[in-house]
Amino acid sequence: MEPMTHSQKLAQAIASGTHRIGEIEIQTEVSNGGFKLCHAYDGTVGTAAESGMLTVYDGPAAAREIAAYAEDGSYRFLKGQRNLRRGWLLRLASVEDLRLALDQFYPACVGLWLAQQDGTLEVTPLRDTLQRQSGMYRRAQALDDGALQALVPHTCGSAIPCARRILWQIDAHTPLLPSAASRCSGLPDEVAAAGQAIPLLCREACNHFVAACLASAKAVPAG
Amino acid sequence: MLIVGHGSTQNPDSATPYFEHAEEIRSRGLFAEVHCGFWKEEPSLREAAYLVDSDEIYVVPDFISEGYFTQDVIPRELRLTGPTSVVRGKTFHYCLPVGIHPSMTGLILRRAREVAPDVDPATTTLIICGHGTRQNPNSAKAIRDQVALISAAHAGYAAVREAFMEEAPFIADWHQFSPTPHVVVVPFFISDGLHSYQDIPVLLGIETDVGPAASQREVFRHNPHALRGKALYYSSAIGTERFIADVILDQVHDFDATHKASK
Repeated sequence: MEPMTHSQKLAQAIASGTHRIGEIEIQTEVSNGGFKLCHAYDGTVGTAAESGMLTVYDGPAAAREIAAYAEDGSYRFLKGQRNLRRGWLLRLASVEDLRLALDQFYPACVGLWLAQQDGTLEVTPLRDTLQRQSGMYRRAQALDDGALQALVPHTCGSAIPCARRILWQIDAHTPLLPSAASRCSGLPDEVAAAGQAIPLLCREACNHFVAACLASAKAVPAG
Repeated sequence: MLIVGHGSTQNPDSATPYFEHAEEIRSRGLFAEVHCGFWKEEPSLREAAYLVDSDEIYVVPDFISEGYFTQDVIPRELRLTGPTSVVRGKTFHYCLPVGIHPSMTGLILRRAREVAPDVDPATTTLIICGHGTRQNPNSAKAIRDQVALISAAHAGYAAVREAFMEEAPFIADWHQFSPTPHVVVVPFFISDGLHSYQDIPVLLGIETDVGPAASQREVFRHNPHALRGKALYYSSAIGTERFIADVILDQVHDFDATHKASK
């Protein structure tokens, strides 16, 4: 039997009751086999979309535009930030379009979740990530564990509140110290039941975090 | 297909061309999937491997030249070991960057004509402007190659010149190596980001300070600009040309011709 594609697995999960990813509510259009996405807080308003309170977009390309800026006009360069704007409804004609749209809102998160389910998700410790850096980023390797631990609550939490669940450690033997950022489950707080939401996973420190390591290393006088 | 770009944590316009190129190729139905991956944005190249469902992946660097990113960063991040690599059960074919393909020449000439449609090339200097860096000679080579190709193509321009932001000849001195009353400058960059839309206009003298990002500007620039005794026409970055999608496909075709023909 042919293995199921990502799109088929996504469709199966939604048919089984999965309806959330990050701040987005996924609704199935029973009449035509399509899907509707909206901000979860708008989804709870019930028929807001149909009554014309939401701006309607069609097709996966619009997802990038919706996800680009927060309500306050700031650029959302990290898509895991919990500041997706409200007031929109995105209509998608097929599960393939749904997958494309979700990969604009939360890049690669569907694939990471499926890999986790298959047991093929590789997690990279922070030390390994820093060790392979070259050019100017190499300087970040000089930070000690204490400095790296101190960066996590701020960089992944208070500065840019990221909704992804951090899976990596400092190294194989050094877990992250407890903080709001390191405790983040990758699931929406209000969706407790297993299977209702696709988790947002962080398998390796992102470029933003590595850049924060570099800035921290530069702030420490050499020698 | 995986289109690889640099991306930016500062400028929302930086990644736009990559997604437009992906959309154009997707619309042609040639590949089961078309995705983008980035150095500075999401998805990262390591995560892009999870994004792609297919077992065989053509990786095309949507970069303007060979250099640090195409020769060091992208192979390292995707764990590529040669033209074709098998990583975590998937086969990756690593194509050459779009900017060094010979078909870029036609796109530059087309862009130059579009930006100054009523100007006689015989009275015009065409300047191809790139970043340039003393760190890597390949950065400037792609531009020098294009200048040689355009000169050899006898496109009718009185002069064709290269110019750079960070190495000689400097774009800030454009009027000194333009012997004609009309000058057309085409930025050899993928996106209208920091360099082509904010830095170079200052170096040319069009702007006095670095302005906001391209998409946030209320008024786009109007050509020509009367500067330093000449009429200057400034185009948007060559990578914003939608026909770059064809160059991406050309690089895939050339990869197959070079690496698969003998099999």
